[in-house]
Amino acid sequence: MAAPSTKAVLLSLVDDVEIITKELFESIASSKQQKATGLGGTEDYHQLTELLVQKDQELKDALNLAGEQAVIQKKIDSLKAESFKRDQDIRKLQQQLKEAEHVLSTAIYQAKQKLISIQKATKNQVPSEELIKYAHRISASNAVAAPLTWQPGDPRRPYPQDIEMRLGFLGRQSDLPINGQMLQAQSQASQGSSLSWQPPPEIAPMVSQVAINQSAMSVDSKGHNKENEGDEVEVMSTDSSSSSSSESG
Amino acid sequence: MGECVDVNFLSLIYEIIRSIEKDSHDVAQKLAELSRLFELCRHQIAKLPGIELSKAEQQQQIDVLRKQVVLKNELLQKYKTLCHFEAMHGNEQHH
Repeated sequence: MAAPSTKAVLLSLVDDVEIITKELFESIASSKQQKATGLGGTEDYHQLTELLVQKDQELKDALNLAGEQAVIQKKIDSLKAESFKRDQDIRKLQQQLKEAEHVLSTAIYQAKQKLISIQKATKNQVPSEELIKYAHRISASNAVAAPLTWQPGDPRRPYPQDIEMRLGFLGRQSDLPINGQMLQAQSQASQGSSLSWQPPPEIAPMVSQVAINQSAMSVDSKGHNKENEGDEVEVMSTDSSSSSSSESG
Repeated sequence: MGECVDVNFLSLIYEIIRSIEKDSHDVAQKLAELSRLFELCRHQIAKLPGIELSKAEQQQQIDVLRKQVVLKNELLQKYKTLCHFEAMHGNEQHH
C-alpha cells in the first residue's frame, strides 16, 4: 500500500491537535468543577498535554518534510520544463526528417524514371546513320517542304493531298469514309483538278496499293485510341517515304 | 516553504488555559482566535507545493524524469549525428 501524501499527513495532524485541544479544554473545565467539589482529575490533563506536545512536534517535523519536498518539487518542475523542451526539439527534428524523406523519395522516383528511359533507349537503339538516311528519304520527295521553284501544276507535291489527309490520324478521328471506291472517286476527282497532285505513272500502282492497305488497316482499327497514334504516324511516314523513295529512285 | 505555515498553537492554547483558570472574560475571544488559526493553517497547508505525493513517490518521479531527459538527449544527439540538415536546407533554398 502506498504511503499517504504529506498533505494528508499534515491535515490529519492539524485535526488531531484541534481535537486534543478541545479535549484538553473540556478536561480543564471538568477538573475545575471537580476541584470545586473536591474530586481529582489531573491525570487526563497531563496525558492530553503530553499528547498535544507530541502532535505539535510531529506537525513541525511534517512541515520540515514539506519544506524538503518543496525543494524536490522545484527540481521536478525544472526537469519537466527540460523534458518539454527536448520534446519540442525532437518534434522539430522529426519534421525535418520527414521533409528530407519527401525530398529524397521525389529524387528517387525521378531517378527511377530516368533509369527506365535509359534502359528503353538502350534496348531500342537507333543508329544515327539510319536516322539521317530516313531524313533524306522523307525530304527528297518534298513531302515536308515545297521545293523553292514550285508553281501550280507542278507534279511534285508540296503539301498532303485530300486522300492522304483522309488516311491520316485526323481523317480517322473525324470518321471520314475511307474505302477503295472512295479512294477511286477521290483519285478520279483529283485527276479533274489541275492543281492537285497526280502521281507519276511509275509510282501510281504503288500509291493505290498502299491506299488499299491503309483502308484495310483503318477498317480493322476503327475507333482507334490515342495509343495507336504513333503507329499511324509511322504508317503515314512509311507511305510517303516509300513513294518518295520510289520517286527519288 | 514549511515556515510559511503558522503552527504556533501551543502558546495560544496556554493563554486560553490560563484564562480558563483565571475565569477571564476573553476566553471566548481567544477560542475563536484559535479556531481561526486552525483554519488558516489548513489553507496554508493546501497551498504548499510538492506535498501531493509522499517523499518516496517524489523521489521516484524525479528519477523517472531524469531518465527521460537523458534518453531524449541521447535521441537528439543521435539525430544530430545522423543527418546534416543544413545541407538539405541549402538545397531547398537552391531549388
